[in-house]
Amino acid sequence: METIAMPAINFAAIMPETILSVIAMALLLINVFVPSEQKAYLGYLSLIGIVVTFFTVIGGWGTPQEGFNGSVMQDNFALFFKGIFLVSAALSILISDQYMKREECNHGELYPLILLATCGMMLMASGTDLMTIFLGLELLSVSLYVLAGFQRDSLKSNEAGLKYFLLGAFSTGFLLYGMALIYGATGTTRIAAIASYVAQNSLAGSNLMLLIGMVLMAVGFSFKIAAAPFHMWTPDVYEGAPTPMTAFMSVGPKAAGFAAFVRVFVIALPTLRADWADLLWVLAVLTMTVGNITALYQKNIKRMLAYSSIAHAGYVLVGFVAGNAVGTAGIMFYMLSYAFMNIGAFAIIVLVGKKGEPNNNVEDYAGFGFKHPLLAVCMSIFLFSLAGIPPAAGFIGKFYLFSGAIQAGYIWLAIIGVLNSAASVYYYLRVMVFMYMKDPVEEFDWLKVSPAIALCLIIAVAGVLIPGIVPGYLLELAQKAVLL
Amino acid sequence: MPNDYLILTILVFIPLTGCLLLVPVWSRVEWARRIALGAALLDLVLACWVYAAAPAVIAGGGTLPGFFLWEDLPWIERFGIRYTLGMDGIALPMVLLTAFITVIAMLVSWRAIKERVTFHYFLILVMETGIMGVFLSLDLFLFYLFWEVMLIPMFFLIGIWGHGRRIYSAVKFFLFTLAGSLLMLLAIIGLYLIHGDQSGAYTFGLPALLHTQIASGASLWLFAAFLLAFAIKVPIFPVHTWLPDAHTDAPTAGSVILAALLLKTGAYGLIRFGYPLFPEAARTFTPLLYILGVIGIIYGSWVAFAQADMKRLVAYSSVGHMGFVVLGIAAWTPVALSGAVMQMVNHGVTTGALFALVGMLDERSGTRSIAAFGGLWGKAPVYSFFFLLFSLASLGLPGLNNFVGEFLVLAGVFRVSPIAACFAFVGVVVTLIYMLRLVQEVLFVGERTPLPLADISFREGIVLGVMGVTVIILGVYPAPFLDLVSMPVALLTGGGLP
Amino acid sequence: MLESLFFLIVAAVAVLSGILVITCKNPINSALSLILTFFCVATFYVMLEAPFMAAVQVIVYAGAIMVLIVFVIMLLNIKTETDKRTSHAVLISSIIGLFVLFETIYFLNRSSLTGSKGLMDSAMIKSVGHTEIIGKALFTDFLLPFEITSLLLLVAIVGAVVVSKRKI
Repeated sequence: METIAMPAINFAAIMPETILSVIAMALLLINVFVPSEQKAYLGYLSLIGIVVTFFTVIGGWGTPQEGFNGSVMQDNFALFFKGIFLVSAALSILISDQYMKREECNHGELYPLILLATCGMMLMASGTDLMTIFLGLELLSVSLYVLAGFQRDSLKSNEAGLKYFLLGAFSTGFLLYGMALIYGATGTTRIAAIASYVAQNSLAGSNLMLLIGMVLMAVGFSFKIAAAPFHMWTPDVYEGAPTPMTAFMSVGPKAAGFAAFVRVFVIALPTLRADWADLLWVLAVLTMTVGNITALYQKNIKRMLAYSSIAHAGYVLVGFVAGNAVGTAGIMFYMLSYAFMNIGAFAIIVLVGKKGEPNNNVEDYAGFGFKHPLLAVCMSIFLFSLAGIPPAAGFIGKFYLFSGAIQAGYIWLAIIGVLNSAASVYYYLRVMVFMYMKDPVEEFDWLKVSPAIALCLIIAVAGVLIPGIVPGYLLELAQKAVLL
Repeated sequence: MPNDYLILTILVFIPLTGCLLLVPVWSRVEWARRIALGAALLDLVLACWVYAAAPAVIAGGGTLPGFFLWEDLPWIERFGIRYTLGMDGIALPMVLLTAFITVIAMLVSWRAIKERVTFHYFLILVMETGIMGVFLSLDLFLFYLFWEVMLIPMFFLIGIWGHGRRIYSAVKFFLFTLAGSLLMLLAIIGLYLIHGDQSGAYTFGLPALLHTQIASGASLWLFAAFLLAFAIKVPIFPVHTWLPDAHTDAPTAGSVILAALLLKTGAYGLIRFGYPLFPEAARTFTPLLYILGVIGIIYGSWVAFAQADMKRLVAYSSVGHMGFVVLGIAAWTPVALSGAVMQMVNHGVTTGALFALVGMLDERSGTRSIAAFGGLWGKAPVYSFFFLLFSLASLGLPGLNNFVGEFLVLAGVFRVSPIAACFAFVGVVVTLIYMLRLVQEVLFVGERTPLPLADISFREGIVLGVMGVTVIILGVYPAPFLDLVSMPVALLTGGGLP
Repeated sequence: MLESLFFLIVAAVAVLSGILVITCKNPINSALSLILTFFCVATFYVMLEAPFMAAVQVIVYAGAIMVLIVFVIMLLNIKTETDKRTSHAVLISSIIGLFVLFETIYFLNRSSLTGSKGLMDSAMIKSVGHTEIIGKALFTDFLLPFEITSLLLLVAIVGAVVVSKRKI
């Protein structure tokens, strides 16, 4: 009987994923024995798991590991993104417990699902095979569908889960179709092999199958990163999902989408660069403009942040279009700072709400600045960072992205970007206007900051201010993680 | 001379340190006030000391000639961003003005601010740091950073303690200035890349960037972006619309700082960065600047004439006065530029004082309408004396400070563009008319509605007295000031040492 | 010739039944149409010399999964959806869809669609055996994706429990 020769597995390449999934499964088992008012312990356990994973990520820095016959490659690029995912997962877990308890849905399954979603994101970032990337994305998406609908008693949450599921499945179809066409054109799913096949047979420009496959994949990824005109699901899902999960899904999955998007397009299809750069140029402009202009009209702060997250995807696309080292490093730096500032802002939103009254309207923040000065200062820091005002990490990130665009000669794109950025300031300022310049309507006396959320806020503020003032170290890291 | 004691850094960050000291005494208002004033005074003393010590080291130089204090530390090395501060004879008066006006602004609002007092002083101190940074930084990235930082406190000052449509004005102010400065940021990046591609050394440092050869088309666009950002701040005619709103609705301290300091940053940016970086492009734009400067002078004065609100009147007079600064910069001759720098200081002191005076009236009577007052001369003689003094200074009475500045600007401009000078002179006449009208209506026409008005207090007396003395000294004996300015101006205009 | 004619017929049936899945008012009819689609797909697999895939398709999808779906529909006793939805959105999206369709056809006619010929041609499949090829691929080249699938299934189960179980 013939034996199958097993490929070189190399577990070092999937160490972070392995640890996270093992912990997730262990948590599922432990969950059975934890009484429902003490589910927070599961959160602490998962945080420990995340910290351990984070150390393996740090440990792996600088030594690229290829595993599973080339299905996965843990290089610096992947590791940097894994760091972003872990940060966003940890911060979201920190704000979850208080919210879930308040809304009476602190089921223990929350934490394993977050960990498995993170695991999926990591596979997307380090996958070098279309199948790995696709399955990582599915793992992520399925977890997110559940997390979006996690608040089972809330109609809005149900709606968010269902909507996300339907549109997510739809976008998966596009992505998979694109991958199938590319497989058809090149006969392989390994992205490095795709590139060499395309180059050897000079398919670029002549092969329609490849081109259509590329466009369909771009559409599929654009759904995931919520780029206009594929952003329609974002506001409803972000509004309806439980706030900590909105925070989570506005950062991690977006970063994962970008990681896979960049890796596939830069490594597998460099010969089609001219084609996809044009396509993404249009997407970037549309995304920034639609996101910002619609955000101007939002009264609900979660919806506003949803549209703002669309706009931010647009800025990041600018760096992608630039395609040079600066632009790509900019994407990474930006997504990391975005994790801190956006989740920080959502942490405040969690705090301002109370059971049954989410207090999600901008008007609900009237006078907040003088009732809870410290929290309001944190919120202002996050909002200024989102708006790209120095000295916050958001500014350095934008600076980096737009520098990349100018360097690559996309001057008009950069100009459209900064004009958008200027417009976006208006809706961030409006929150501050309400916080500081309107008389308080509420006393905000229900507001209690749990230690976990306090920790989250401290980390987030540090993560916004420190890279904003001394960004040198992180910029070096991002620069070293560039694929090119 | 790179200075070992980091005097400039201390100068910039004393106010910020003061902010931190405010935190422990947040709810003890009296203490907070004193600490804030203490920090501002300390900064003023240090600035004065630098001024006193300056002549001794004035011959020394950093990488740029003319700079006698120089600090240069690595910051974000990946991008060639350095923490470079430098002081020359143009930055020094601006720093003195900043330290001085900040103290004045605090004293002016000593009793007027009754709510959230500590926050108010906190913001003023943050703003002082930002403005100092703008005047001292010689790295374009650092400059941009401080440039944005000074916006945020002003936004809150107008929005929280302002009057009338305060929120509208605050947001308008913020968006206007931000839109301009973001385009400038792109231009900065563009310049950085052009220079880096040419020389291989990517840097944001001004000394290196000054020697960049830029294709004329590109340099026009880059200069246009810089010009737009600075023009919004100055403000130059078509982009001035935020100014009347912001000035009118801001609290007194806000108006004083806005008029005396923030407007100067725009003009200073043109002198320090805009013109030296893109001399050819600047020459192309000079006719436009003449026209806009003249329009600013005449339009500002004309509209000021029609105002019924005193604060709005002073605000529009700012547009007019800053028109002279623009003209002086546009002419770019040693005489005109010295005049422009002098006029920047003059406008800071004079208009700051006028805003303080209007604020005092507002505090006492709750109205700023010109029609509400009359016959103040008899009721509050000391107040009226100062009102008259600063009004006369503002309209350019010989012997007072504005006369010297305006004269120098007009003399300088006349040699380059007589037509512009003639039109600007028309503006002087209109200024004369509306200022005299203001003085007459408020001080001398018989009493209209009897208002219970107390004369100025001791604190206000000190504020106005010090400013009055400054106005007179600068008017009668401007030589030390002009000596200070002459060397950097000569270096900038390429005329060599006088 | 005969083969492509056969393909066209099956493909037409597949598309039509696919459309029926989303247009039928009665969920049972939708489910039955879906079964038909699955059968057509199985036929494609057979034509591509992938009998194992065809069998799996029929057993798992057309068999097990559809039985479950029909069972659930019966249990829940879903009423027939009656409200008519002929809004502008439907019209607009049909127009866009048709446009994209014609565009695709236009481009397809204009240029050649040549894929690459992979290792798995008819001779190879006949000599090694289809099932064995799939097995080898799953345990060598696609080992990691295969393992990820297990996590995916786990998440799906947990998710189903979280979303639907009455008391957790």
